Amino acid sequence: MIEKIKTEWLSQPGTNILAGIVVALALIPEAIAFSIIAGVDPMVGLYASFIIAVVISFTGGRPAMISAATGAVALVVTPLMSEHGVEYLLAATILMGIIQIILGIFKVGRLMKFIPNSVMIGFVNALAIMIFMAQIEHIFGISLDTYVYLIITLVIVYLFPRFLKKIPAPLIALVALTAAYLMFDSDLKTVGDLGEIERALPSFFIPDVPFTLETLKIILPFSLSMAVVGLVESLLTARIVDNATDSFSSKNRESRGQGIANFITGFFGGMGGCAMIGQSVINVRSGATTRLSTFTAGVFLMFLIIVLGDWVVQIPMPILAGIMVMVSVGTFDWGSFKYVTKAPRTDAFVMLLTILIVLFTSNLAIGVIVGVVFSALFFATKISRVDVYTEADENSITYHFQGQIFFASIDSMMNQIDFNTRGQNIVLDFSGAHLWDDSAVDAIDTIVKKFEEKANKVYVKQLNADSRKIVKELSQLNEQHLM
Amino acid sequence: MYKTLLLAADGSENSFRAAKESMNFIDENTHVTILNVINADDVKDDVLHNPQSESITTRRKEKLSEIISFYENNGITHDVIFERGVPAETVVSVTNDGDFEALVLGTRGLNNFQEMMLGSVSHKAAKRVKTTVIIVK
Repeated sequence: MIEKIKTEWLSQPGTNILAGIVVALALIPEAIAFSIIAGVDPMVGLYASFIIAVVISFTGGRPAMISAATGAVALVVTPLMSEHGVEYLLAATILMGIIQIILGIFKVGRLMKFIPNSVMIGFVNALAIMIFMAQIEHIFGISLDTYVYLIITLVIVYLFPRFLKKIPAPLIALVALTAAYLMFDSDLKTVGDLGEIERALPSFFIPDVPFTLETLKIILPFSLSMAVVGLVESLLTARIVDNATDSFSSKNRESRGQGIANFITGFFGGMGGCAMIGQSVINVRSGATTRLSTFTAGVFLMFLIIVLGDWVVQIPMPILAGIMVMVSVGTFDWGSFKYVTKAPRTDAFVMLLTILIVLFTSNLAIGVIVGVVFSALFFATKISRVDVYTEADENSITYHFQGQIFFASIDSMMNQIDFNTRGQNIVLDFSGAHLWDDSAVDAIDTIVKKFEEKANKVYVKQLNADSRKIVKELSQLNEQHLM
Repeated sequence: MYKTLLLAADGSENSFRAAKESMNFIDENTHVTILNVINADDVKDDVLHNPQSESITTRRKEKLSEIISFYENNGITHDVIFERGVPAETVVSVTNDGDFEALVLGTRGLNNFQEMMLGSVSHKAAKRVKTTVIIVK
């Protein structure tokens, strides 16, 4: 135990602290921009990022993964924020945390297996498209200067990493261009134009909402969506970090940890969040392997908030929009175009459906759920098809069965058999089939009976071991039939 | 002829050409180590397009299969190592830390725009690797 804590916190402390600092620097523009997507004061996103990162460094299941305020959760809460205000958002965040803790206790991490890749790809693509679309209002039809700043931002974030690896390029764009804006007084909208900002250390308070059933009705749908979206992105990110560091992590502990972090964040005036793919990759690329990196990211972010807080209102919107364009390009799965043409039709359909549902409902959680339901239906359709091939020679007719025989597939199987034969030797060959339940056994009994009624002799052949066992237990067939 | 040789390979057409070219410098007494660097940025794609982590490993090995069977057919002893990190830095450090007489690599299989954005692995390797570097175009 002590040994585990030591390796999870203290191996290579220097590298991990440095990685955490880089992440904190990269987090600032994103946390502010995601706050603006949600429609909250940037401090709500910054506080959330600080608290979530610090708490998750203790409670999470995946060392070196970065969690903070995210676009995925921000996009889900936008309507709640605009209709009911920030207090309801905080209450929804606390409830989100409780839901995630419960899901973690019930080991929902295992359920991630049931989210197919097609849905995951649809999820990240929809997320990328929505982040991009949220920027349009900050880019078009404002001023000429807006386009100039946007283009310079894009040039910096894409070109600078070539020369300067240590400092995150988005932060360079943010600092340099905000300074330029203050010097030249360009015609731009700033973060301050979007609303008042107050700077204070996060403090504990209970969200000011009436504790009634009415309130619960308002926040519960949002909390559920936030919890689902948060876990989907967190557990996907955990898999990515697992693979990038060649190590394993506890998905159930991560679910609980995410819940605890969001639960606490809500009480300190922060919006909900989850793990971030982009930031976690930055962290791992900088050599991070331990919880110390995540902890440092949170603490250093708080330090930066205190130092830079007064400047936040002065940040021109096109810089943030440019950084978000970069984030959405990085989030999008560019392999999808090949996927659509190469993957099985139904998978490609589910992927596109997931994106469409998200764009239509503006809710990533609904997209994931519809995607999972449809892939389950496609799977059930595919698996409930039994093929029967008939082969006849002078002494016998053989039926070859292929597929999974169970309650849902029996109809299709029966329709393929011709029961009008009379006085023949009939062989039922199950070498390519598996019998799953008593409906399957019943169906075989029925086939045998129907053939025998017309004076045929019936032989059942090539049942595999499992199938033979349930036939023995459930069927009325006797040893004469089995061969 | 070299006794030990490191081939940095990403499975691209270029890295296969590098493998073929390496035959000019080696014989049946040479041991070739094939190095594939797993970049954190690529892992997202791998995870999204493979449901199980085992299938990711299989897919990575498959990418190198052409090169592996090439050496097999030519009777060259070889092993494959996967390292995680930034490609250029990892290639440099593996070469310098190991006991290799030469490093062979292709120019990367990227287009001009990507080349400009990302910088080139072969360029950095040529600058910072201490032993002989053979860059195959």
